[in-house]
Amino acid sequence: MVLENEIFKDFEDIVGKNNINDGKVITTAYAYNWCMEFFNYMEDKEPSPFSSIPKAVILPASTEEVAEIIKLCNKYGIKFKAQSTGLGPWNQPSTDNCIIVDLRRMNKLVKIDEKNLYAVIEPYVSGAQLQVEAMKYGLNCHMPGAGPHVSPLASATSMAGPGFTSPSTGHSARNVLGVEWVLPTGDIMRLGAIGLKKKPDWYNGDGPGPSLRGIMRGWVGAKSGIGVFTKVAVKLFPYPCSTDFTITGKSPNYGFKIPKYLRLYVMDCKTYEFLEEVMLKVDEEEISFMCSHLSGSGLAAIFSNSLQGLIGKAKLAQLKVPIVILITARTDREFDYKQKVMDNLIQELNIKDIIGKSYSPEPVFYAEALRSNLGLHGFITTGSFQSSKGGSDTAAVCLLSTKMNIPLKMEYIKSGAIGNDSGKGVWMTSYESGHYYHMESPTMFDQTDDHSVKGMAEYMEASNQLDLLKHLGAPFFVEGTQMHELFGPHMSNYHIWLRKIKQAFDPNNIADSGFYISPHSKE
Amino acid sequence: MTEDILFQKLVEIFSSKYVSRERNILNNYSKDLSFYPEKAPKYVAWPTDTKKIEEVLKLANELKFSVIPISSSSGPRHHGDTIPHKDNTIVLDLSNMNKILNIDRKNRVVMIEPGVTFGKLIPELQNKGLRLLLPLHPRDSKSVLTSALEREPITIPRYHWDSSDPLLCTEVFFGTGDLFRTGTAAGPGTIKEQQATGQAQVNPMGPTQFSPFRVIQGAQGSLGVVTWATLKLELIPTIQKVVHIQSDTIPELLNLQHELIKYRLCNELLILNNLNLACLVKKNAQEITELKNKIKRWNLLYIIAGRGKLAEDKISYLEGDIRDIIGDLGLKGLISENIINDNDILQVLSQATPDPWRLKLKGGYQDIFFLTSFEKITEFISIVEKEVPQDLGIYIQPINQGTSYHCEFDLYYDPSNDAEKTNIKEKFLKISTNLMDSGAFFNRPYGILTKEVYKRHDDSTQTALKKVKKIFDPNNVLNPGVLCFDE
Amino acid sequence: MMDDEEYKHLIRRCIRCSICKWIPQLQIKSKKYATICPAIDMYNFHPYSGGGKIILALALEMEKIKPSEELRDIVYKCTECGGCDVSCKFLNNLEPLEIIIKLREKLVDLGYGPMPKQQQYIDSVKKNNNPYNEPHENRLNWLPEDINIDPNAQVLYFVGCTSSYRRKEMAIAACRVLNAAGVPFNILDNEEYCCGSPVFRTGDINTFKDFMNKNVDAIEAKNIKKVVFSCAGCYDTFKVHYPLYRNYNFEVKHSVEFFNELIENGKLLLTKKVPLTVTYHDPCHLGRNAEPYKEWKGKVVNLMPLISIHVPPKPKRCGTDGVYESPRELLKKIPELKFIEMERIKEYSYCCGAGAGVKSAFPEFALHTAKNRIQEAEDTGAQVITSSCPFCSTNLQDAIHESDSLLKYYDINELLMMAIGITDEKLKEFLGEVA
Ligand SMILES: Cc1cc2nc3c(=O)[nH]c(=O)nc-3n(C[C@H](O)[C@H](O)[C@H](O)COP(=O)(O)OP(=O)(O)OC[C@H]3O[C@@H](n4cnc5c(N)ncnc54)[C@H](O)[C@@H]3O)c2cc1C
Ligand code: SF4
Ligand code: SF4
Repeated sequence: MVLENEIFKDFEDIVGKNNINDGKVITTAYAYNWCMEFFNYMEDKEPSPFSSIPKAVILPASTEEVAEIIKLCNKYGIKFKAQSTGLGPWNQPSTDNCIIVDLRRMNKLVKIDEKNLYAVIEPYVSGAQLQVEAMKYGLNCHMPGAGPHVSPLASATSMAGPGFTSPSTGHSARNVLGVEWVLPTGDIMRLGAIGLKKKPDWYNGDGPGPSLRGIMRGWVGAKSGIGVFTKVAVKLFPYPCSTDFTITGKSPNYGFKIPKYLRLYVMDCKTYEFLEEVMLKVDEEEISFMCSHLSGSGLAAIFSNSLQGLIGKAKLAQLKVPIVILITARTDREFDYKQKVMDNLIQELNIKDIIGKSYSPEPVFYAEALRSNLGLHGFITTGSFQSSKGGSDTAAVCLLSTKMNIPLKMEYIKSGAIGNDSGKGVWMTSYESGHYYHMESPTMFDQTDDHSVKGMAEYMEASNQLDLLKHLGAPFFVEGTQMHELFGPHMSNYHIWLRKIKQAFDPNNIADSGFYISPHSKE
Repeated sequence: MTEDILFQKLVEIFSSKYVSRERNILNNYSKDLSFYPEKAPKYVAWPTDTKKIEEVLKLANELKFSVIPISSSSGPRHHGDTIPHKDNTIVLDLSNMNKILNIDRKNRVVMIEPGVTFGKLIPELQNKGLRLLLPLHPRDSKSVLTSALEREPITIPRYHWDSSDPLLCTEVFFGTGDLFRTGTAAGPGTIKEQQATGQAQVNPMGPTQFSPFRVIQGAQGSLGVVTWATLKLELIPTIQKVVHIQSDTIPELLNLQHELIKYRLCNELLILNNLNLACLVKKNAQEITELKNKIKRWNLLYIIAGRGKLAEDKISYLEGDIRDIIGDLGLKGLISENIINDNDILQVLSQATPDPWRLKLKGGYQDIFFLTSFEKITEFISIVEKEVPQDLGIYIQPINQGTSYHCEFDLYYDPSNDAEKTNIKEKFLKISTNLMDSGAFFNRPYGILTKEVYKRHDDSTQTALKKVKKIFDPNNVLNPGVLCFDE
Repeated sequence: MMDDEEYKHLIRRCIRCSICKWIPQLQIKSKKYATICPAIDMYNFHPYSGGGKIILALALEMEKIKPSEELRDIVYKCTECGGCDVSCKFLNNLEPLEIIIKLREKLVDLGYGPMPKQQQYIDSVKKNNNPYNEPHENRLNWLPEDINIDPNAQVLYFVGCTSSYRRKEMAIAACRVLNAAGVPFNILDNEEYCCGSPVFRTGDINTFKDFMNKNVDAIEAKNIKKVVFSCAGCYDTFKVHYPLYRNYNFEVKHSVEFFNELIENGKLLLTKKVPLTVTYHDPCHLGRNAEPYKEWKGKVVNLMPLISIHVPPKPKRCGTDGVYESPRELLKKIPELKFIEMERIKEYSYCCGAGAGVKSAFPEFALHTAKNRIQEAEDTGAQVITSSCPFCSTNLQDAIHESDSLLKYYDINELLMMAIGITDEKLKEFLGEVA
């Protein structure tokens, strides 16, 4: 699949000889990704963990290099796929006429603007890196539930964006200010105030006039299908408590000096109806740093860092409809007030908090919550998982969707294809103090087991159908031409407009659209 | 096609009652308070339902005439964005589409048609314990939906999670006449079907991999005609405490507001100079001048609020924490008591007015507004103050959770005084371009400034916007000539 | 260590999360020092990371790629520092380091490993009992005459090839301290052979066993109770890898452990002030990789479809039980020495860059890594960086030299000598050679 010598040379001239490789070994390694097996199977291919093998992998160091690379791609008719951390099948080329633009070398934290409460980052600054630097100013950043090791830029510009701290830090897409964007033609565009010819700056990314952030992405991102984002300014938030972050002990048995002003509540709402009431009430009080619903088994998983540990938490797993709330504060007064609000709600709703009574988490849980490390606990049981669903509107639809999914999930659990979470395994969070909610259904499977992989793929398809037919909101994975054409006709024919955008912004169809939309209805 | 045939076709669509070619009516749409050259539309039509909008847009594409959608029923318009550029223009006045379609207390959202005004909506919401996120003391006859579509800054920056707030989902006819719903409203399913599953169209993002509401917003009616929108609401506090801090110089107020927004300690939060504060709370020129002379030059207003049983507790926590911050900043002496009645300030910040506050001083004003960062505010103030030593109102609004600042300079003048008017017009252009050259970001460019703004912006943005225009309004029927779009 | 079946299963389990490129997420303190893997830090392409090498193992197993020099070079551009292993295992159940070691073994079997430069070292081990092509009979050339060796002692100092031939000052310092503490000790003379580590790491297990047996036999013949090492590599080989093939009847201690105990017991008196600001580099072989394998005999119980557990729980080797505290305690006991930590320490310490044959096969990679570490040490404000491994010593000193750093390197036992108040002419001479 290698590049012709002359073409290789042209690319090499841009990045230098150590930063491009079209050897079989490296390109094959880049064809592997998490969940690729069942994504392949969903496309009627062999359930192999490898995708199409890229023609080459290239490591630019600057926006200008990215632009030149993309211009060359246009010149030679070679597609590109950009990746930041590169976690997940959406990083994979959909054709072997594609190079991977690995943005790893673009890792500058351009600035933390303390007065204007934002940071400017390149693609390979990780969430944890941004957070620790922001903490030095008493600030914090939003991170997707994927964890602190992934790229906040990728999340903000190109991926999804829910996170455990969404009640207080929102959604990645809504925290975006200025953006630097290399279009699929290789032209560099800067959104908002950073596009000013004189004295550009990053504080705003909309206009002049309409905001092209709406072309950049939607509820989910374009996954490299609309160009490469090379810098982004993201909003920062006040760090929720004292910034003292002291880990004790040694991996994996870390301890944590729990900083002042953190308090966790876990309550069993018993029914989904009551959960809705509780969640709305808590959110309206604007007190929670985190406010999530997980199934009992999901809850046990976020409190465990091994399967063995999880088994010891059977009590948590038995909770019927739990809610997890973490309140944080900056001062004694704020902390007292928030606790008082919680006490009042607990009394008014006649509900029990189990924390400190029948259960006390290990201190390290608090460290993981503050560092947004909880999502990774999804891997501790069967080795792999992927979420179905992912729609987002009101709490009510999230819970209806949860309930309606149980019988479907149970079918696949009974067949032994997916891990047993009683069908109730979901993660639901509120955003922006409860102005909207999102629910996804993490589903455990074993990537080394063919039956499981195939069952997972079939379950995903059935779950998507359920959402479509019962009007439960569009799932995360409505991306790629096939899915858009399935959902589009039921959703304002949006696929027609999305396709026009693709055609207008990528006239040569160079940005790999495997996880976006192809410019033609049949590619 | 002769004009009569076009008129006839419009009558067929709208019925004769809802189309007009009467000169005096057309003249209402030919000018506004801006310096934009007058021009009357050919006809005005008042759609009463969405079908008619679809039909007129399809007809416009077929017959190649222009359509300018406007929503506010009456009262002065300001920015030249609805004045026709072309001869063959029909104004689509949506003010008759003024239904409040749904007030949803549980999900804190309201669905409204374009003709719904602040004056009508605020009390309706109040009855249900809800409040809109308001721009600064809007005119009561102004369309709520347009205000949101124009990305007007709101006065509670902590609730301003995204610069698009409070706009959520929309139903929109693109320039092609195709109907679309943005955000979760897109589906799957009709709005009815969505509502049956408990949805309330509260998530503006999407559908899927794009967010078309963001390009409809800020487009000045050039990409689509919005027929309803959902807006984010908040709950009305039980207790609100107004704090008014005055100072002769602005930096300390800027520092304080930074802390307040950083820690999300207050609701409304804004800085006004003495003249603008006086214009907001007083009735006429004399009262305004008196108050202006009584208060210090710079005024920081903020409101702390509590709700429900623990409202008092919340107030005392906020007061305590803010007291500490003020102490740390050494600003203790600045809090003023009773110069302005707290209720007057509350009123201004929570209600609409029949009497536009910027017209009270001299009957006319030209505003210059843009976005900037914390550090540059004072520089821009000096630039403007140097050119306009008097009758200058200033309003600084932190937006988007304190990540940028809406700076507004109101140049007050007497519209009946031609010399003054000409002078202001000249100054307006000169100051604006001066500010642009110093890095002010005119993100909502209107009227005669538009060209200057785009000239100073990355060309790729214009190219991209033109592509967007070509997609959603390929025949350029909607409000041609605004922004960077062709006439 | 894992068997072939487990290997084949585990190589399908990498989720490509890239956590193995970073120190454990909870330990990250700055943007600058957040990474753990020297290989990916240098070469950037994903396959260089721990997880990337697992993908290579899978691709090879699935015959997506063939063994080749291209593959070999990537697999050997790795210091086997095990940083990836610690970070991955905070939550995951993979064995990145063991997979890398096994992948190397496979490449050797397939005729594609080790690197030619490394082969020279191995050949020399076989021929000369040391990797440096030095005559075996010169092994004791470092030994000053006035060091007291007690042929009847129950404590043995195992010098190691590197200290014997290349870092003689370390051997001298260790012996001086032993003498100062009045601990009778012996050495193996010319019965000491290479510990076998370089052979082991390239997968030649039979040769490795020969060397192990020669050393263990010689020690056991002398009725030794305790073997002390100043080389982290030899220590790790004795402590962690010998027991996989043979039990022995003596205790092994690194000098930092032993000397720290001597100080605590009042045998070693630190009376001289050493007013230096010092930071300590944890050698991988004394730190995370010095954690022994714990035997597990149990079974896999299937709890429900797709979910099985080990009964009893299988110990996970995560670097938890490395030797971390002794060197720190020891340094803190030196009068007026100000001890200061770098950001990446203990189980998530950043590798010096020399290990697993990298220094010989890819010297520029080794140096790049060491420079990164030296920068980190400089950022603490320390004047001195110290450690307890001859490989780290060489490589870090090369980096100091190459980056014109003002930092000084001392072996931890040299600092002890200063605190005890002993000087050594020969040592000075050797130090002069190094400079
Ligand atoms: C345990 C777990 C939990 C998760 N939970 C969440 C969650 O709660 N919320 C959530 O949002 N996601 C979640 N995810 C998915 C997650 O968002 C992604 O895996 C993660 O954000 C990817 O980040 P990344 O840095 O690896 O980006 P990448 O994987 O590198 O990129 C993501 C996508 O964006 C494209 N891309 C990346 N960078 C650029 C760029 N600079 N320009 C253009 N395109 C680019 C890539 O091609 C790819 O399609 C979860 C994943 C895991 C494994
Ligand atoms: S080896 Fe472990 S940490 Fe590295 S990518 Fe694979 S699963 Fe993640
Ligand atoms: S052992 Fe060290 S160098 Fe090798 S892959 Fe792991 S972290 Fe990188």
